[in-house]
Amino acid sequence: MRGLVARPFGPDPLRMKNPKLSTLKAGVALALLAAPLAAWGQAAPEGDAAAGAHKNRMCAGCHGIAGWRTAYPEVYSVPKIGGQHPAYIVKALQEYKSGERSHPSMRAIAASLSDQDMADLAAYYGGPPPKTASK
Amino acid sequence: MKRRWQLVLAALLLGGASASLAADLAAGAAKAKEVCQACHGLDGNSQVPDYPKLGGQRSDYLAKALRDYKSGARKNAIMAGFAGTLSAADIDNVAAYYASQPPVLVVKH
Repeated sequence: MRGLVARPFGPDPLRMKNPKLSTLKAGVALALLAAPLAAWGQAAPEGDAAAGAHKNRMCAGCHGIAGWRTAYPEVYSVPKIGGQHPAYIVKALQEYKSGERSHPSMRAIAASLSDQDMADLAAYYGGPPPKTASK
Repeated sequence: MKRRWQLVLAALLLGGASASLAADLAAGAAKAKEVCQACHGLDGNSQVPDYPKLGGQRSDYLAKALRDYKSGARKNAIMAGFAGTLSAADIDNVAAYYASQPPVLVVKH
């Protein structure tokens, strides 16, 4: 009979079985989330790779094309950034934004990025390569 | 499959090396062992988040970065010291060497 009763707003019967276990799981999950956050401190926002994947239009025009070269102010290949350490990517973007590291295009692009944008992009590029990646 | 990658690497190397006349990979490896490997790893797969991975990076980009560190155009206290010890030939050789390493870096769209 139980299975036939429709309960669109009722609690999930699977979870009802062992509320203690659910609480325990939630506790463990919270602890796992909190530990790295506490270690990282408040200076750097946590990167979200999925969000970064939607913020990379300005990046993909150069860094997403195999063999692409910058033309100004000097001709050389744009670096590959897929698989790079996220911490290094954030640092590079911050240095471009502050002007410490100079490249006209990168300075303009980095200036438009928030700390959160940088963290998201770094998480995306530094994360595992998708199937579309090429060497 | 492995053979194909060797071909791809060879093609990349030839492409990159055209800027720097005949980079010497063996000399680059020796210099990398002496100067770069402690932070970036001998294969360029740095394990330290602050230090970039270099394996498979474009050689002309690496060479430009080193020249900029050496000239001071790109400022970094650590890299200024190391790049300052490298000659123009060392820079081309080291750059070609790391570009020839297994590509831990990829073009991601």
